[in-house]
Amino acid sequence: MDFVCNFPFFSILLSLFSGTICSILPGRAAKIVNRLVITAIAIMSGILLVYLLNTGESFVYWMGHFPAPWGNEIRAGVLEAGMALFFCIIMYLSMAGGAHKLFNEVEESKHNLYYILINLLLSSLLALVYTNDMFTAYVFVEINTISACGLIMIRQVGRTIEAAVRYMIMSLLGSGLLLFGLCIMYDLTGHLLMSNIKESVALLMQNGEYQIPLIVSIALMCIGLCIKSALFPFHAWLPDAYGYSTVSSAAILSSLVSKGYIFLLIKIIYRVIGFDIFNSTRIIDVLFVFGLMGMIFGSLSAIKENDIRRMIAFSSVAQIGYIYMGFGMGTQAGMVASVFHILSHAATKSLLFIAAIGLTEVSGGSRKFIDLTGAGYRNKWAGVAFTAGSLSMVGVPLFSGFISKLLFAQAAVQVEGKMLAALIVLGISTVLNAIYFMKTVIRIYATTGDTAYPNMTFKQMKVHAVVLVFFILLNVILGVSSQPIVDMIEQGLAMFA
Amino acid sequence: MIICIILLPIIVGILAPLLPFRQRSHKEIFLEGAVVLNSILVWYLLLHHSDSTFLLAHFTGDLNISFRVDGMSMVFAGLVSGLWPFATLYAFEYMTKEEHENTFFLFYTMTYGVTLGIAFASNLLTMYFFYELLTLVTVPLVMHTLTREAVLASRKYLYYSLGGAAFAFIGLIMVIVYGNTTDFILGGVLDLTKIGDKTNILLLIYVMAFMGFGVKAAVCPFNSWLPQAGVAPTPVTALLHAVAVVKSGAFAIIRLTYFSFGTTFLRGTWAQTAVMVVVMFTIVYGCSRAVKETHLKRRLAYSTISNLSYILFGAVIMTPLGLTGALTHLVFHAVMKISSFFCAGAVMHQTDKHYVHELDGLGYKMPCVFGIFTVSALALMGVPGLAGFISKWNLAGAAIDSQNPLAYAGIACLLVSALLTAIYMLSIVVRAFFPGRDFDDSRIQTAHDPNWKMLLPLFVFTVFIILFGVHSQPIVNFFYEVANGVY
Amino acid sequence: MYLILLPIFFPILAGFCLLVCPKKPDRKLLIITTGICLVVTAMLILCTLLSGKQELTLFYLTRTLPIYFKIDEVGILFCLLTVVVFVGAGFFSFVYMTHEQKEKRYYGFYLMVFGVLNALCFAGNLITFYLFFELLTLSSMPLVLHTGSREAIMAGLKYLFYSLCGAYAGLFGIYFLYHNCDTLTFTAGGVLQTTAIAAQGEFLLLTAFVMILGFGVKAGMFPMHAWLPTAHPVAPAPASAVLSAVIVKAGVLALIRVIYYIFGVSFLRGSWVQTAWLILALVTVFMGSMLAYREPVLKKRLAYSTVSQISYILFGLAAMNEEAFTGGLLHVLAHGLIKCTLFLTAGAIIYTTGKTRVDELRGIGKEMPLTIWCYTIVSLGLIGIPPTGGFISKWYLALGGLSGNIGVFGYIGPVVLLLSALLTAGYLLPLTIQGFFPGADYAYASLQKREPHKCMTIPILIMTILSVLIGLFPNILVDYLADFVGTLF
Repeated sequence: MDFVCNFPFFSILLSLFSGTICSILPGRAAKIVNRLVITAIAIMSGILLVYLLNTGESFVYWMGHFPAPWGNEIRAGVLEAGMALFFCIIMYLSMAGGAHKLFNEVEESKHNLYYILINLLLSSLLALVYTNDMFTAYVFVEINTISACGLIMIRQVGRTIEAAVRYMIMSLLGSGLLLFGLCIMYDLTGHLLMSNIKESVALLMQNGEYQIPLIVSIALMCIGLCIKSALFPFHAWLPDAYGYSTVSSAAILSSLVSKGYIFLLIKIIYRVIGFDIFNSTRIIDVLFVFGLMGMIFGSLSAIKENDIRRMIAFSSVAQIGYIYMGFGMGTQAGMVASVFHILSHAATKSLLFIAAIGLTEVSGGSRKFIDLTGAGYRNKWAGVAFTAGSLSMVGVPLFSGFISKLLFAQAAVQVEGKMLAALIVLGISTVLNAIYFMKTVIRIYATTGDTAYPNMTFKQMKVHAVVLVFFILLNVILGVSSQPIVDMIEQGLAMFA
Repeated sequence: MIICIILLPIIVGILAPLLPFRQRSHKEIFLEGAVVLNSILVWYLLLHHSDSTFLLAHFTGDLNISFRVDGMSMVFAGLVSGLWPFATLYAFEYMTKEEHENTFFLFYTMTYGVTLGIAFASNLLTMYFFYELLTLVTVPLVMHTLTREAVLASRKYLYYSLGGAAFAFIGLIMVIVYGNTTDFILGGVLDLTKIGDKTNILLLIYVMAFMGFGVKAAVCPFNSWLPQAGVAPTPVTALLHAVAVVKSGAFAIIRLTYFSFGTTFLRGTWAQTAVMVVVMFTIVYGCSRAVKETHLKRRLAYSTISNLSYILFGAVIMTPLGLTGALTHLVFHAVMKISSFFCAGAVMHQTDKHYVHELDGLGYKMPCVFGIFTVSALALMGVPGLAGFISKWNLAGAAIDSQNPLAYAGIACLLVSALLTAIYMLSIVVRAFFPGRDFDDSRIQTAHDPNWKMLLPLFVFTVFIILFGVHSQPIVNFFYEVANGVY
Repeated sequence: MYLILLPIFFPILAGFCLLVCPKKPDRKLLIITTGICLVVTAMLILCTLLSGKQELTLFYLTRTLPIYFKIDEVGILFCLLTVVVFVGAGFFSFVYMTHEQKEKRYYGFYLMVFGVLNALCFAGNLITFYLFFELLTLSSMPLVLHTGSREAIMAGLKYLFYSLCGAYAGLFGIYFLYHNCDTLTFTAGGVLQTTAIAAQGEFLLLTAFVMILGFGVKAGMFPMHAWLPTAHPVAPAPASAVLSAVIVKAGVLALIRVIYYIFGVSFLRGSWVQTAWLILALVTVFMGSMLAYREPVLKKRLAYSTVSQISYILFGLAAMNEEAFTGGLLHVLAHGLIKCTLFLTAGAIIYTTGKTRVDELRGIGKEMPLTIWCYTIVSLGLIGIPPTGGFISKWYLALGGLSGNIGVFGYIGPVVLLLSALLTAGYLLPLTIQGFFPGADYAYASLQKREPHKCMTIPILIMTILSVLIGLFPNILVDYLADFVGTLF
């Protein structure tokens, strides 16, 4: 076992402990620690990724060298390492891009609390990504929920409290269902380690025993994670939570937290239940239908919205719909498309949130469209970035959104029964996306008429601008040279099985 | 070479506002020089093209961004590069009365490159890419005046175009999955063995993709963006919304029909019937709306809608003759419509009159402009001896030759539309030249013909309208060869 | 060989130069120029006709579409009528137009129409014909809306759109004919491919019907006749004369060319198309007369009369036998001369008295005896009283109707023609009667001789004489026609 194999474990622990350390540091120091930790983890994940790409197979890491079923396992493959790296990058950029806003919106005394929560969140995300144990997963799901809740609530204005309470209730309902499903599964198989459960499930299916409880268990786990990742129609908590929290929180929540749960679901599908068994249930059809509905209704809600942040939040509902549609196709290609969309959506959505904040800043802090008129001229960087993000969302070539659309459509064509529905909804959803994103883009470039709001120059927003440029680059890289990434995803999914 | 041609206008466009020009005329010379140079390069390329494909980049899998010169690209690129220098010249004069010149020329010149990208695209993905790009670079032009009207128009333009592209995208996917390649090959690339029993689904997707690209070509019911986009400055309306952008839609449909799905697969199916009915309806609908419309530019825009569907009508006949007819009208209509739009623009520029009923008696004040307008009106009607007659003749000939009863009905539509064209065009001419006995010309006392920058393009176009009308043989032969895959 | 182009393009160019010439020329100069142009054109036509049958392919529109001119008998006939009417009405207008504005424009378009009409007569194939047919519409429209009143402009537009509608229906047919004929050159007996007849007979019949309807618009055939009574009266009188006498005949010429030289009589005879055409022609004959009878305004009444009379010709064409066809051609000449005279007299009346309604014109015969005498003579001709041209043509028409094998129409046709002749008497003669016999309560004291200018009376007189001559010596014409009519059947 190479030294590199310790990295997953290190990164989880590092982020967990840095959280503790932050609690005794003042805000500014906590910020630096946080940045360092994220950077370190990103580097470790990068090295791990290269290592895994070279060896070509995944490995299992026994914590404390206790073998299963007593010990706790961590498993790392290409997909896990890639995901961890990507999460770190997004998180770093989101933190950097929202930092100046954070100081305005959050009380001085709570700055270090914020970094504690971020670190905890990161550790839980990494744990969700790496763990090979269902119960560990559950534990970190809860940690994740709590830290996310804190991230929402840390900006203390009326609506965030309400949003946090809502988020808490829905999330706990989700994790409750997950736990419930987990219990049944444990009952049926007697295992908590993923690999072991999978063997038992295969055996059960073979013998035709306990079919209904098994399905119920799978369904409960799916629903639990769907609620947590805000699949339509369980998205009611989302707009407020993303819309009113401080911008870094919104970016991180939308692009990372929900993706963490989805990633866990993918792991459950592949590693716990088995891809074929999962596909043989009718659950994928349900996911497919709700995915499609999410794509349409999410966008429709976004069109009606009059608040840029809430509009972007609603757009997330639609994008999550895409991902679940990919699951619902029940093919390898659909899954690849979904995973790619996790990346592309994370990159785009955080870009949009960060850019939106730049636009609202030069519009007197108002988020209403009417006030944003001409904001693209007042803050050129944010305007360009928002436009790029919008184009990516609409699926214009050169940006990442196009590739995920391409992958989804190609996947859809291979599924006999679902092809037409998927393609048509994909088309309609693009139209709807175009409507609300382009409406905004045109609005921010609408007029240069005299406004009371000042212009923003590059000097005033160096960090912000650089972050935006990085986000755009990330999008373009995903859009232009997607082939290696798609290959990596395919390789990673193959390692799962 | 090809990539230079595509990038040159884009780069020049970006440079123009950055370079410090001391005088306006220096900038004009710089831009005009660049555009002319590029056009010369294009023509040089067309005349000395090789058959090889230029690969720019791998996209994903076996999808490439690559370029090639074939017959269709020669037609479209030749047309666009022929018109652009004149339109730019015209724009210099026109834009003296508008604001934000820099932004305007930035995007106006960039559009040139993007349009050439569409023309030279050698596969469906590349075309789709430039197609989307075209939407994006032209939106600022529509939005140019930044009035409420312009903002609404550009918003609609974006919704329609991007939405249309979304459905065209589905067609792209079908070709990727069910075709041997995405390259354009006359006769289509679909692999019949892969299709199996999915013919009907594929046809449905074809119809969807047709309508998707059809949005740019202003097929009914997706046409309302075009008249609204008339708020843009006239050089934009004339060159982009009568030629480059809308013809890109028609061009894309031809590529899709003849070079990707293939006519053997489509001909005689319900899909052909469906699209033909849509196209025929649009032909008549566009004209009827034009008759009702009193705003001069919007009237011409509706006329464009109808005429674009002439092109599509030729295309959906799905025979080489049909394609010949479509290409003929693609080129001829471009010249006729840009000429009439430029006349309208000259009137607006000189007298600030926008409505048809304001044009009374202007024919005597601006004889050149209205003389040329009359010629283009007659050509659009299809008077023999002018370009429009030849293209309609080819279209009708192809329709009859196809032995398709629906196409016969299409001829009737063409003629009804010709009659309506006469109504909406000649009523303008009559107003301008025969203002009525008790007409008081004191309000237009100061109106006069514009200067040479505006008149030169007009004269050149008129010469071409007549030339194409009386001596169309060589160019129609060329189209026929293109339609039969000679190039 | 290129001589044939001169009578076509000389007046067109002359008219065009007149139009674009920016200066406002002296009125006298303008009239002299126009007069010279008219005379020169007439000479050129005579030279051309005398130099024998010619043909010329000018250039090719596309490889298979030549612009081709040829002189044949029908063309000569129509051409002669055109020359007489145009020169006559032209000289008439030199005086008449003094009370209108924008004379330069009027003469410019007048000359252009002249050239275009010559071209129509000499057109040797359908495409050339169609080209000039469209140009005719476009160049004659300014004559209609010349006065510039709102009414005139609307009438001009109505004329334009009806005519174009017809032309496009014709074009529809041309598209199909092009694919079913070896050539579109006018050939006696038709050029349809026999294979095409066998394969698409029904469809070709439909095409023929559409073309009849389409070109029938120009000839004022029901149901598309409405433009004629609107457009003719609003034009200046000489223009109405030209419109009614020759321009509507372009529709007749078109139908002759299409039916007799492209489709061929043998293809259409006995088909439903013939029946339908006959019915339409007869309906128009009767309806036109009835409307004219009820119409109080003189020029409008004459316009309705034109509707009715042209359909006499169409009846002759639709009967599709030699006698009827001869009758039709004779009526072309007779009606052309007569209607021109009638409109010119109406113009003279308007010019001198300013009155337009028939019932205002009591005693007019006492004031302008020569004019009204001419009016009366040609009226009799139109009614069909023997020594005038109208009698001969109607005679042949009735003969053709009876002798042809067109079934029940053989009887209905002549009856309708006769009825209509009665109505013609009813609408034309009241003016004569009132004009010469104003009644006892007429204020003879206020009566004064006011014969119009010589420039007006002489053309009227000449044309009256010509129309009588046709009636007196019909044999020359009938023999001339008999020579080639046989080849068409």
